[in-house]
Amino acid sequence: MTLQECGEIEINVEHDIAIARRAVRDIAAELGFGVTETARIVTAASELGRNVHKYAGGGVMRWRALNKNERNGLELSFEDHGPGIADVDEAMREGHTTGGGLGMGLPGAKRLMDEMEINSAPGTGTTVIVRKWRR
Amino acid sequence: MHSPKRPEGIAETITVTKVREVLLVTMPSDPDDPTICALQEKTLEAMDQHTVTGLVLDLTRVEILDSYFARTVAETAQMVELMGGETIIAGMRPAVAITATELGVSLGRTRTALNVDRALDMVGRARHPKPRRRA
Ligand SMILES: Nc1ncnc2c1ncn2[C@@H]1O[C@H](COP(=O)(O)OP(=O)(O)OP(=O)(O)O)[C@@H](O)[C@H]1O
Ligand SMILES: [Mg+2]
Repeated sequence: MTLQECGEIEINVEHDIAIARRAVRDIAAELGFGVTETARIVTAASELGRNVHKYAGGGVMRWRALNKNERNGLELSFEDHGPGIADVDEAMREGHTTGGGLGMGLPGAKRLMDEMEINSAPGTGTTVIVRKWRR
Repeated sequence: MHSPKRPEGIAETITVTKVREVLLVTMPSDPDDPTICALQEKTLEAMDQHTVTGLVLDLTRVEILDSYFARTVAETAQMVELMGGETIIAGMRPAVAITATELGVSLGRTRTALNVDRALDMVGRARHPKPRRRA
């Protein structure tokens, strides 16, 4: 494979969300995801990348090609050292927002991806990991 | 320093043109947040400058519609309505429609059309032009 197996993109300014999105699109396509699957992954990345920028003022997106039990996939990890999320269950609830949004980003990203994990504590920051497997 | 790679020949800006009595606003494939933010201002300014009956928002090139983008589109349509015009969204790709629905975003009550041609025909016409014939 010509593609490297992992990498990272910093998310600092607004435009970095678009850069991360384009990178994810290229990686997903390279890994063999179809158009709709790629759109799902890119949309989830857009939501999570924007949260990093909006709530933590910046962070990093790491990506990794997955290969497990003959299955290929893509893992994206959004990491920041922002304020953290006090109540993750509440943040996952549809419509819950502290930022005047629609409260759609986290629950929506979960629906679009196969797996999602949130690690967060107030004061230490937030890590959101999502995975998508090829069908 | 390298600037991020962009598909050649695709403008990354919004274009606004007047077609017949309609304003045609075309979105680039992957607009960043500042570009999306400019949609409202550009559209309303153009509505103010030209005598038009409505607006066709061309999403033919758009590859993903995340919550921020969808919200901006819905808000813009609402503002156009307040100014006495109508908005029709044209050319949404299947992958975009599927993904936006799964994410959970909505475009409010905005009407949609398969392509720009049909959208141009729809502007200014009532939602249900002909009464349905009973079987
Ligand atoms: N990286 C993060 N750091 C701190 N808080 C976060 C982070 N991501 C999400 N949150 C919290 O979780 C809430 C829900 O996030 P979610 O993305 O679902 O909705 P939103 O960003 O408020 O609105 P939308 O994404 O629909 O515009 C946010 O309002 C915020 O309080
Ligand atoms: Mg969000």
